[in-house]
Amino acid sequence: MAAPLELSCWGGGWGLPSVHSESLVVMAYAKFSGAPLKVNVIDNTWRGSRGDVPILTTEDNIVSQPAKILNFLRKQKYNADYELSARQGADTLAYIALLEEKLLPAVLHTFWVENDNYFTVTKPWFASRIPFPLSLILPGRMSKGALNRILLTRGEPPLYHLQEVEAQIYRDAKECLNLLSHRLGTSQFFFGDMPSTLDAYVFGFLAPLYKVRFPKVQLQEHLKQLSNLCRFCDDILNSYFRHSLGGKLAPLQLSFICVEYLHILLGLYKQNSLLIEEVCALSLNAGL
Amino acid sequence: MGKSYPQTIAAEPWPENATLYQQLKGEQILLSDNAASLAVQAFLQMCNLPIKVVCRANAEYMSPSGKVPFIHVGNQVVSELGPIVQFVKAKGHSLSDGLDEVQKAEMKAYMELVNNMLLTAELYLQWCDEATVGEITHARYGSPYPWPLNHILAYQKQWEVRRKMKAIGWGKKTLDQVLEDVDQCCQALSQRLGTQPYFFNKQPTELDALVFGHLYTILTTQLTSDELSEKVKNYSNLLAFCRRIEQHYFEDRGKGSSSIRLS
Repeated sequence: MAAPLELSCWGGGWGLPSVHSESLVVMAYAKFSGAPLKVNVIDNTWRGSRGDVPILTTEDNIVSQPAKILNFLRKQKYNADYELSARQGADTLAYIALLEEKLLPAVLHTFWVENDNYFTVTKPWFASRIPFPLSLILPGRMSKGALNRILLTRGEPPLYHLQEVEAQIYRDAKECLNLLSHRLGTSQFFFGDMPSTLDAYVFGFLAPLYKVRFPKVQLQEHLKQLSNLCRFCDDILNSYFRHSLGGKLAPLQLSFICVEYLHILLGLYKQNSLLIEEVCALSLNAGL
Repeated sequence: MGKSYPQTIAAEPWPENATLYQQLKGEQILLSDNAASLAVQAFLQMCNLPIKVVCRANAEYMSPSGKVPFIHVGNQVVSELGPIVQFVKAKGHSLSDGLDEVQKAEMKAYMELVNNMLLTAELYLQWCDEATVGEITHARYGSPYPWPLNHILAYQKQWEVRRKMKAIGWGKKTLDQVLEDVDQCCQALSQRLGTQPYFFNKQPTELDALVFGHLYTILTTQLTSDELSEKVKNYSNLLAFCRRIEQHYFEDRGKGSSSIRLS
């Protein structure tokens, strides 16, 4: 339990700690279960294979794939599900299957296959974080992998055509979002007041769809109409990821807040308020 | 989740000569296809809609989506359980109308769990486990065709299934890991079913039909080893569930049990 846990994953943007669904699932689960995870964002250095990211490294183990990583964390006693009943555990498995079968194809399509989105947003973002010359190859490979997955699971053999499945996968995804919204209702999390594995998965799949700004946004528009799901994502971002978003500037912000508080106490607030407000605004802008 | 059907479809009553097509029962059909076919048959029985089962060697190629089973009703041809449920609903019969929105969400989620884990495990066992492929699958799949077509078709299908397994991340799984997944899935189904007769208490739904189709087929199909059926047998409420549906919807109505024996 004391061994340091390091997670290699894709970095963040648009207010998210990571734009990659699978990385986000693991990061969220770690926050919920209290696992002390050291996050190593893949940046412009050459570092082994990137296809398997997220990867958890400990002293003796290397674990890949979110399901296996979560299992490993549970075995290390970082369990976000210990308060769930057996039936709720079963529901978790079922809803995760629903996400993977019905929502994932459309999310993959929105990020990696839809040309406008891929060429204007996804490809530049990933290419900027991969060293040359891999940046020329890897995004294309990831895009092909996504297309492959969509066609092989939803297309019809032997001639797989994207057009036939596009309409269907978006219909399925919208229905899946509606089902999730019905299931969540007005609760804070899917199983009561504490977040669990299912909340990590839903957050991981929905948050990038919610926050990343795309030119072609039909699925995003649909999600934004489901206000309880948007509230769910925002709540988790604000409660569990707020401090890590500031990065290096978080201590700086904290110190400005302390200075302001001191001034209030000493009654000097009125004279210096403008200066403090400006400085705080500057630091907030720079931090986020 | 599906296409909407025009009024003309809805207006026509269910004909007496509705047929369900699948592969040849004795020599050709595989575990996964048999499970799918049984699920559709169970669903139609639960809706009280008569259906005649017809076995054709080229059922897979006749199907509009390439998957079996498919039903021929009036002048409509519909394949796979999901679209068939939609079609039957358009004709005014539904098993899940009494469920509220949250229950419907749960039902759909559990159906995806069965597809995601059980069906994929069946496909893995059939096409990626060397022992089963060599002893059973290849011979059965190509049995209606002459040499060399039987080998070519079997290899083509195997290549297709292996591509799919790789794309969804099952390519590197071992048989033990797959059986673990089956166990996890059965545990989840068992916990959800609890002591109730059906998944949504008194009345069966399409989820019950789907689970029955898969579990019953796993229990009654002879493979190279008993490991798969042993996983299901660990859960007594699932066994009772299968027995209950078999008795109520198949035996009582004069149809024999549709088990297949692989030699």
